[in-house]
Amino acid sequence: MKARKWIWLVVLLVVVVSTLGAQRLVINSYMSDEAPRRVFAELVDQFRALHPEYTVVLNVFPHEDFKVLIRTQLASANAPDVATWFAGERMRYFASRGLLAPIDDVFPDGFGKDFPAAFESACAYDGTLYFVPQSWYWWGIYYNTKVFDALNLTVPENWYQFLKTCEILKQNGYTPIAIGTRGTWTTGGWFDSLNMRLHGLEFHTDLTAGIIPYTDPRVEETLSSLADLAKRGYFLENHASYDWQEAATRLFNGEAGMYLMGQFIKDVAPADVRDDLDFFRFPIIDGTIGIYEDTPIDGFLVPANAQNKDGAKVFLKFIASKEAQEYFAVQLGRLAANRHVPPPDAHAQKGLDMILASDGVMQFYDRDTDPQMADRGMNAFVELMMFPDRLRTILQSLERDRQRIFQ
Amino acid sequence: MRVYRKHWWVPWAFLALPLAMYLVWVIIPIIQTLSLSFTSWDGLSPTTRFIGWRNFEDLFHDSIFWTSIQNNIRWLILFILVPVPGGLAIALLLDQKLPGNKMYKTLFYLPMTLSFVVIGLVWSWIYDPQYGALTTALNSIGLSSLNRAWLNDPSIVTYSLVFAAIWRQIPYIMVLYLAGLKNVPPEMVEAGIVDGANRVQRFWYIIFPMLKPATIIAVTVSVIDSLRSFDIVFVMTRGGPFYSSNVLANYMYIEGFHNYRMGYGSAIAVIQFAITFGFILVYLSNVMKSEGVD
Repeated sequence: MKARKWIWLVVLLVVVVSTLGAQRLVINSYMSDEAPRRVFAELVDQFRALHPEYTVVLNVFPHEDFKVLIRTQLASANAPDVATWFAGERMRYFASRGLLAPIDDVFPDGFGKDFPAAFESACAYDGTLYFVPQSWYWWGIYYNTKVFDALNLTVPENWYQFLKTCEILKQNGYTPIAIGTRGTWTTGGWFDSLNMRLHGLEFHTDLTAGIIPYTDPRVEETLSSLADLAKRGYFLENHASYDWQEAATRLFNGEAGMYLMGQFIKDVAPADVRDDLDFFRFPIIDGTIGIYEDTPIDGFLVPANAQNKDGAKVFLKFIASKEAQEYFAVQLGRLAANRHVPPPDAHAQKGLDMILASDGVMQFYDRDTDPQMADRGMNAFVELMMFPDRLRTILQSLERDRQRIFQ
Repeated sequence: MRVYRKHWWVPWAFLALPLAMYLVWVIIPIIQTLSLSFTSWDGLSPTTRFIGWRNFEDLFHDSIFWTSIQNNIRWLILFILVPVPGGLAIALLLDQKLPGNKMYKTLFYLPMTLSFVVIGLVWSWIYDPQYGALTTALNSIGLSSLNRAWLNDPSIVTYSLVFAAIWRQIPYIMVLYLAGLKNVPPEMVEAGIVDGANRVQRFWYIIFPMLKPATIIAVTVSVIDSLRSFDIVFVMTRGGPFYSSNVLANYMYIEGFHNYRMGYGSAIAVIQFAITFGFILVYLSNVMKSEGVD
């Protein structure tokens, strides 16, 4: 009888101590591709070792599903403490609805001390910081060097050379441009690049902000360039049947020559072809227009409904540190947001140089414009790539959507 | 009788828990969806605005909505025309005392054990326009001219999806009919044989009429399954290319959850509910008639 009492007391003590001593810290992540998933889990392990006072729960969701699930997670009373997300308009969409916790105190010496001042606006809403940037990357045209070598092709610098490169690839039985549009976002890269090369940053910013009608002749010019590539048969056949990774295997196995994609394409490349991949700047179309690029910033936010905001901020301070940012960047070849971290390899140095030589940057079509508009737009780009002759009707339909969404 | 009156509350006491669950999980959400469909709620903000019939007016002018309805009708028609006769045919075949009967039953039933998500994935591979099993098979028997981009061509993508779903639906209907066939008294069939009815006549005048209850269930189940089709579309095409394979359920999900238009998504759900409810009413009245309840 006495022994049993003792056991109960011990059990009770253990329960009390463990609930008092260890705080739960829930992190929800969209890093579901194998490489980033592994690296982020290792970072969380490092945090666990440094801060044993937290019981860290890491939940990983499939990337595309996470974009939908986060809505429910933020709105629920039982929100995670930290969540991965995208800087810019997609973060502000939540911040403007009061769903995010301000995190200014994660940067006691100011955002600019460790991070590029240019990132601050993408991480803030209404003068308050809501976002800790972890890494960023560039978009460029990735190509298979073995294919280019086999045909003695050089890297095209302007639109004329680019079209010629595509034609040579096509004549020799290669798919000039790989793309998978089952997830429609891949088309956003084409739209952004063409529109910024043709009409510059200010026009593109106004368009994504919903100020410029999609029936504007300049938008038509942008999309007729895309339609032109489709008419010439340069894109991977039946691209809507494939996810972006499936289409990427065509580039890896040497069936396709090029793929407009972010640096993360290397995450899914098999080790033996990773070194065959290189990239070049999206070709210049109009020499009088500045050079602008897409450089999406990925990072973390804290929901307003988070249970453990203090713990969340401790984690964010860790993830913002030079060491943690360097680890992530080196393992994945990304550029760290922390400006004390040098580019991890020659490839990343090349990407950084390309961006430093540009005149301005955007995030990405679906990060810069309203989510509904992005969905309608990217589906329309897929339709255009399959039926280039529908250009006019597609533009009119997009304009009706714009008027409804940005009223 | 006296006991019954005195304890009138007993059945209610037993029913209380299921009724409460039904209320919380079915009735209240229906009412909530209905009220949301008159708002412009984004699914995020704590407050929302009442906008009357605006969502429904927008739906009326929304070409994607009409594409979705058209696709739902395609699903509906094909789901009645193919799995019901197909399931019946296989059930009749397996009802004969053939050697290896059990094995065939199991084989035919196997697709039913897979979830729609698995079926969607498997069929995406089968439909791969370059390396897929279907393309390879057609090429190897010299029918490469029949090859299509099964999930890429907006004019055929819905049929490709429905076919994958039908592959799973047929065994379901087959099981319904197998059970139905067990209820056909053999004496009646034997009497038919004695009277000199041939196989076709025996089927058409004896067996098929006796299977009427099973047929009603099979058709209704197919109608409801076709209207709620979501998983296959979501897994295989996400409604694409450019919304051309959307069905109402999928469009509702995209608008409500992906595009932060909960009010609009609810309006789509209300329309879908109205259509499904209509079919269920027809079904219920049929069942009641055949059971002699009015």
